[in-house]
Amino acid sequence: MLFNSIEFFIFLPIVFTIYWLIGSKRIKQQNLLIAIASYVFYGWWDWRFLFLILFSSLVDYTIGLKLKSEDKPSKRKALLWVSICVNLGFLGFFKYYNFFVDSLVDSFTFFGRELSINTLNIILPVGISFYTFQTLSYTIDVYNKKLEPTKDFLAFMAFVSFFPQLVAGPIERATNLLPQFHVKREFVYKDAVDGLRQALWGLFKKVVIADNCATYANMIFNNQEDYSGSTLLMGAFFFAFQIYGDFSGYSDIAIGISRLFGFNLKRNFAFPYFSRDIAEFWRRWHISLSTWFRDYLYIPLGGSRGGTKMKVRNTFIIFIVSGFWHGANWTFVVWGALNAIYFLPLLLLNKNRVNTNLVAEGKYLPTIREVFQMATTFFITLIAWIFFRADNVTNAFVYIKDMFTSSLFIKPEIFPLTILGLVTFFAFIEWLGRSGEYAIEKIDFMKRPVRWCFYFLLVVLIFSFTGEQQEFIYFQF
Amino acid sequence: MKKFIKNSILFILLLLIVGEFVVRFTHAVSDIPRRTIDNTGIQKYIINQTGYWKGGDHKWKINDLGWPGDLPTSFDNLITIIGDSYIENFMNPNECHQGPLLKKRMSDYNFMEAGRSGVSFIEAMEISKHLDTLQPVQTLIYVNDNDFYESITEIKKMRDITQINLEKNQIIYGEMKSPGLKKVLYNWKLLYYFYNRYPINFSNKNKENEIKKPDFDKVLKLKDKISELFKFIKINYNTSNKTLVFHPRTNKYFIKLAEEHGFKTIVLDSSKDNKSWTFDYDSHWTCYGHEQVANQVTIGLIEYLKGKGH
Repeated sequence: MLFNSIEFFIFLPIVFTIYWLIGSKRIKQQNLLIAIASYVFYGWWDWRFLFLILFSSLVDYTIGLKLKSEDKPSKRKALLWVSICVNLGFLGFFKYYNFFVDSLVDSFTFFGRELSINTLNIILPVGISFYTFQTLSYTIDVYNKKLEPTKDFLAFMAFVSFFPQLVAGPIERATNLLPQFHVKREFVYKDAVDGLRQALWGLFKKVVIADNCATYANMIFNNQEDYSGSTLLMGAFFFAFQIYGDFSGYSDIAIGISRLFGFNLKRNFAFPYFSRDIAEFWRRWHISLSTWFRDYLYIPLGGSRGGTKMKVRNTFIIFIVSGFWHGANWTFVVWGALNAIYFLPLLLLNKNRVNTNLVAEGKYLPTIREVFQMATTFFITLIAWIFFRADNVTNAFVYIKDMFTSSLFIKPEIFPLTILGLVTFFAFIEWLGRSGEYAIEKIDFMKRPVRWCFYFLLVVLIFSFTGEQQEFIYFQF
Repeated sequence: MKKFIKNSILFILLLLIVGEFVVRFTHAVSDIPRRTIDNTGIQKYIINQTGYWKGGDHKWKINDLGWPGDLPTSFDNLITIIGDSYIENFMNPNECHQGPLLKKRMSDYNFMEAGRSGVSFIEAMEISKHLDTLQPVQTLIYVNDNDFYESITEIKKMRDITQINLEKNQIIYGEMKSPGLKKVLYNWKLLYYFYNRYPINFSNKNKENEIKKPDFDKVLKLKDKISELFKFIKINYNTSNKTLVFHPRTNKYFIKLAEEHGFKTIVLDSSKDNKSWTFDYDSHWTCYGHEQVANQVTIGLIEYLKGKGH
C-alpha cells in the first residue's frame, strides 16, 4: 500500500480509530492491532512475502531469548552469526543473487572463459533492506547487552512490521522503538497535530516536488544523448530534488503517522542540501542508515581510531557497503566510492566535524562564504547522484562527459518554470524552517487562521500537481 | 481526543469549502449541462444553461431548443447537423462548431446543430424526425462505427441510449442514467473533481458494459443485424434528404450499406493531413480538426445540393 494512494487514505483513519477506541490501557490489544494492520499494509503489495517477515521475526525473537540465557561467549557468538546469516542470507538471495551471478559470468568472459550459470526470476520483497537491518540491530544490541530481549512476541512482531516505517524506514533501532511497544501510549493532542502536520509536509514533498521532478529527471536521463549540457545539468538537479523529496517525504509521513499512534521515530533527514561540506551532508542525509553503519560496521572495524591506512580502509568500506545496500548495481558502488573520495580529505585533515552547527543559525540569510560552501557541496552531491540514477556506470560517465561541454552554457531545452517555481518555494520553506525537526514544525507561532490557510495551500497544491502516482524510490532498496 | 476530532472535522469542512471555491474559480472540472427527456423521448439539455469547459477559456451555451451552440438567425434554407459529442463539441468555442464553420463556407444556407454525447445512429434518426418539422433542405448525420453497434439492443443493451429492438421492431428510448448522483456531482464541483480524478474502479462491471470494436470477422457476423437496422430506417424514416458523414477510418462495410439504402455519404479522410485533427489527451477534434471536417463536408454537400437544383 502506498502512502499516496486512496487505499491508504481509507486504511489509516480506520486503524487510527480502532487503535484509540481500544484505549491506551490495553497495550497488548493495541500491539495486536498494529501487527495485523502492518501485515495488511504489507500484504496489500504481495501477501506471500509476509512469511518472510514472520520468519525473520521468529528467528530474531528466539535468538534474542537464547542470547539472554546463554553465557558462553562462543555460543553467544554462534547465535549472533545465525541471526546475521539468516537475515543477510535472505537479503543476499533476494537482492544480490542475480547481481553476483551476472558479475561472475562477466568476469569469466573478461578472462576469456565461458561460464554458464542462469540467473533467477526473483521478485525483490519491498523494504527487505529496511526490516532486515532493523531486526539485525535488535540481535546485535541484545548480544552486546545494550538491550534486554523481549519476551513479548506480539510486541516484537509489531516492532519489526510497524507499518509507518516498514517498507522505507527510518531504520529504527530496537533500543528506541521496541520499548515503546511495552509502555502505555497516551493520545496527546499536540503530538497528533504535529504528526499530521509532518505527514502533510511529507506528502507535499513526495507528490508535488518528487513526482513532478521525476517526470523531467526521467525524460532527461532516459534520452540523455538528445540533450545539451545545460539540460543534463537540469536533469541531475531534478533528480537531486526527486530523491530528496521522495525519501525525506516518506520519512516525514512515516514519522508523522507514528506520532498519531503515540510513537516517536528517529529523525531521518535534517535539511541535507543546506550542508556546507560532505561530512555535514552525511550527518544530515538518511541519518538512520548512516548511524546504523557507523554503529554496527564502522566502529567495530576500528572507526577512525587507527592510522591513516585504517581510516582510508574503513571509510571506503562503509561508503561502498552503504552504496551497495541501495541496490545490486555497480552504479551504487561507484556512488558510494565517490562519496568516500569526497569525505576522505575532510577526515584525514581532521575537518570532518567543522560544520556541526546549523548554517546561518539565528539569521535569515547565510554569508557569502556559506552560500559558496553550500553550493559546492550541493554540486558535488549532484555529480554523485548521476551515478545513483544512471542505468549503468558507462552511461553515468557519458552523462557527465556530455554535461561538461560548451553546451553547458546554452539555454536548456527543458526549463519547466512551474516546477522550478515549486522547487524554489519548497527550498524557501525548508530554509526558513531549518532549525526545526522538519520544515514547518515551528509554524505554531502563527495564528490559527494563517496556519490553516498554509495547510489549505499545501493540500490544494497536492491535489493540483498530483502527477502520475509513482512508487517511492526507496521501496526498491 | 475530543478536541482533535472537533478540530479535524472543522478542518475538513473548511477544506471542502476552500476546495469547492478553488475548483470553481480555476475551472478545474468542466461544467456539465443538465439533461432532460422531452415528450418525444429524446434526451436533450435543459435550455439556456452556460458553463466552462476544463482547459478552455470559452463558455458553452445551450440554446432555446435544448442543443449546444447558437440557433441560426433564420430557418430558411436550413441544414441540420446531428451527431454525438463531436457535434456537441463542448471542448471548443462556438466558432469551431460545424454549424458556424459551414456557414462561413456556405453563406446562403443556415445551419442548426443538434448534438449530444452518446447519440446512437437510431437516436440520430429519431432526432432528425423531429427536426424535419423545420423542413431542412438537408440533414447531416455524423457517425462512426460504434453508433451502429450502439443502436441495436441485440448487440449490446444500453439503458441510457435510444436503441432499437430488431426482433420486436420497437424503439426503446434511453433513460436518464443515475440522475440523483449526477445532480449532486454537477452541483458539488469538488466531489465531481475527485470523481474524475480518482475514478472508482468497477472493473468487472465496466468490462461487461464496454463495447469493443469488433474485428472484421465479427462485423461480418453482425452484418445481418446492421442490415436489418438500415432496412428498418429506410421504411420508418425519411432518408431522402439525409447525408451520413462518416468519421475517418469508419468501416467501409457501413458506408456501403448506407449507400445501398439510399443515404448520401461523405467520408472524412484525415490520412493525408500531417497535422492531427484530435486533441493529444482526447479523441475529439480540435478547432483545426473541425475546420478540416467542415472543408471536406462542404465539398460533398455542394455536390449533393447542386444535384437537387439548389
